[in-house]
Amino acid sequence: MADEKSSQPEHPTPLRGPREGVPAKPEGKHPGVAADVAALAGGLKTTLSEFFRPVVTTMYPEDKTVRSERYRGRHYLRRYDNGLERCIGCELCAAACPVGCILVIAAENSDENRVSPGERYAKTYEINMLRCIFCGYCEDACPVQAIVLGPEYELSDTSREKFIYTKEKLLEPMPPDVEARLRASAAHPSPLPDGERGTPK
Amino acid sequence: MPDINLTIDGHKVTVPAGTLIVEAAKTVGIEIPVFCYHHKLDPVGACRLCLVDFSPGPPRPQTACTTPVAEGMVVRTQSAMAVQARADILEFELVNHPLDCPVCDKGGECPLQDFTFRHGYPTSRIDGPRLHFKKPIPLSENIALDRERCVLCYRCTRYYDEIAWEQELTVAQRGVQSFITSQFDQPLQSNFSGNIIDLCPVGALTSRVWRFESRPWDMTHTESVCSKCAVGCNTTMWQRRGQLVRITSRENDDIDEGWICDRGRFDYTDVNEPSRLRTPTIRGAKSTWADALAATAGGIKGKGAKLGISLPADLTNEEAFLFRRLLDGPLKGAKVKMHGRTAIPAPAGPTMPIKEIDDARVIVVVASDIENDVPIIDLRVKKAVSKRGAKLIVIYPEGVDLDRNPHTVHIRNAKGAAAEEVRKLSSHELLQNPGGPVAILFGDGHGSEDMNDLASACGALAEQVGGKEMPLYRATNERGALALGVAGWDSLDGVEALLSWGPPPTAGVPTSVRFLAAWDHLPRDGYDKAAVVLPATTFAERQGSYTNLEGTVQFLRPPVAINPPLKEAWEVLNELGAALGLELDYPGIFPIQRDAAAKTPALAALAQTPSPEPVTGPVLVGPAHP
Ligand code: SF4
Ligand code: SF4
Ligand code: SF4
Ligand code: SF4
Ligand code: FES
Repeated sequence: MADEKSSQPEHPTPLRGPREGVPAKPEGKHPGVAADVAALAGGLKTTLSEFFRPVVTTMYPEDKTVRSERYRGRHYLRRYDNGLERCIGCELCAAACPVGCILVIAAENSDENRVSPGERYAKTYEINMLRCIFCGYCEDACPVQAIVLGPEYELSDTSREKFIYTKEKLLEPMPPDVEARLRASAAHPSPLPDGERGTPK
Repeated sequence: MPDINLTIDGHKVTVPAGTLIVEAAKTVGIEIPVFCYHHKLDPVGACRLCLVDFSPGPPRPQTACTTPVAEGMVVRTQSAMAVQARADILEFELVNHPLDCPVCDKGGECPLQDFTFRHGYPTSRIDGPRLHFKKPIPLSENIALDRERCVLCYRCTRYYDEIAWEQELTVAQRGVQSFITSQFDQPLQSNFSGNIIDLCPVGALTSRVWRFESRPWDMTHTESVCSKCAVGCNTTMWQRRGQLVRITSRENDDIDEGWICDRGRFDYTDVNEPSRLRTPTIRGAKSTWADALAATAGGIKGKGAKLGISLPADLTNEEAFLFRRLLDGPLKGAKVKMHGRTAIPAPAGPTMPIKEIDDARVIVVVASDIENDVPIIDLRVKKAVSKRGAKLIVIYPEGVDLDRNPHTVHIRNAKGAAAEEVRKLSSHELLQNPGGPVAILFGDGHGSEDMNDLASACGALAEQVGGKEMPLYRATNERGALALGVAGWDSLDGVEALLSWGPPPTAGVPTSVRFLAAWDHLPRDGYDKAAVVLPATTFAERQGSYTNLEGTVQFLRPPVAINPPLKEAWEVLNELGAALGLELDYPGIFPIQRDAAAKTPALAALAQTPSPEPVTGPVLVGPAHP
């Protein structure tokens, strides 16, 4: 029995009793009242000096911090100036999404029911915001810049269902700062100089 | 054939003489990209994508798809010359390509995409104007053509010429202006048109039934069998979000050689019909299965010959076996009629396998319009004739598509007199010295022939000329149902109670019927007076097996899950048996298969059910809901 116990490895952080490890009270005479008052005044001095330093706390939600202009919050689906939806229902955003929270079901445009330019549009477009990690891959993948991430981050709601953002919700008008950001990052330089085609693998 | 030794990229390869370099490279896992080459079509060398470099030979890239191997040949697929040649061809291929991959249904499974990634240049130099066509153009109800995406490989038109013997699809104009068009811009009529969708290496030919339904990566696929006729072509069924969204062919050289007909490919939308029946009803009111089956049992029990049973063409061997047990027990004496069955009697023994048609020197097709009755057999016959030089004799009262071959001997018999013509055949000049096997394919003339007479005439002819017979059953599992004795041919006139499984009897529900129990997957007009309506599964939800017309047992695998209250047919039959007082307590499909195999010699293959297929990809994206 004893052998068995000694063969067990020692626990890295041994359990302690209620008083174990508490330093013992210093021995000898009490230092006196004057020393106690001095220690108290020293502490109060720190407190009082902090009182007059400038405030750094933001009083959220009354006040808000300034966000980076590249901040990625809730998504928007964009439209063209003529009102047609940009999204062509290609599902590339859904394929790129690392958590699989986008559902796209496509359908065909007709002359009677034209939703987007070209042949194809998204009949259903849903994002599950509870799963989204706001990585922005969907925006990167989109060939027509239809899905973009906006600045809003206050997305709390009262039921799980409300976090499934439908196409109607995603098509709501975008705040103006998204447009500005998109214009700024519009140019994508090609990895190769003009007229070069690289070498085949 | 003698074997040839050669070297491909340093690998030693031994293949039979006559093998093409592309095929030889496949045996050592080397990919030579191809567009126009297809292993079931004759090589043409139209696209030049398969360029490789070999010696001895001219010092320039050569097409691997038209060059047969030679002894001591050294093939280099990765030499600088070959690599550049293929990349240049791909660059040309993309000069007029619209690159609309995001809206293209081929995107994600497109050889042009894959080859450009693997063999092409990483960027494009093309910014000039591209050729434009009106698009999409409907080639038929089922097929859309996008001429901008076409790479002019001619696989579609060659398939139409060589395999389907149709003239509906052709190329118009010359050079870079060429485009694919249907003849006189008329819609395609052929029953074999859908195969060009599988053949097209780009998104130029796409299915209109599947159009924009899904991406390849958000479907699961299941290897199953077509349930539309007795040939039993192998198919792949594609599922997205609980719906059957696409059916494609699956190559099985013994049966279908990779082709399926348009019925098999496009006729599946009823599976996803929102009006599908899901709950049993008694006189229009929803009920439970127990009540509905008790009501059914009450209506059909003890009726003897006053009970009629209509069976669907596509009931599985397992369901037929359970029915057999019911017919031996509580439903003894009932009249049974199976949908779509022929009058051909059960085979006495093994019949000619489908793949042996290939080697026949003379093929005799009697009393069957095989293009519509057993479509893929029709393609086999055409292949044997046009690619292997078989002679063809057709005995049929009307014109058939096999007449498109000018050498076809078509004997137009009077209806009902096919047997007479068959008897005369033994002295026909083509059969005097056939020079090899003779195949005798016979149908039932859709009921116009006296089958005992015709079958014995065909048997006698087979004996005289040393041929083999192939009875052309039509109903999907007719041969399995015959083996189990449930493929009835009785008239239902005068029955008082009717249990009708599948669509209503072809002749309509007899007026004498007082009690009608219907069991089908869709609401039907003929069933509005039914006392009980039971919801049925479709081929997409069913487990079980079919015996095809040559006697091969093949297994169905359901791509779509069954959601309660829908129940599998074997389960319903078990419970119906119990309600009728017959102890049928099989706990699952496998015990039924083992029991059926033990009791029916023709179904011995049922004892060796293949292991359930592992879930195969591609599933990259999960459902979006929590
Ligand atoms: S931001 Fe990232 S996680 Fe969120 S939907 Fe887009 S791709 Fe998916
Ligand atoms: S948002 Fe963009 S990537 Fe997503 S389906 Fe629409 S077009 Fe395609
Ligand atoms: S055919 Fe292939 S390459 Fe062409 S648009 Fe379709 S997916 Fe893209
Ligand atoms: S339509 Fe498709 S199969 Fe036909 S020639 Fe064009 S690319 Fe080839
Ligand atoms: S595949 Fe060889 S030329 Fe087209």
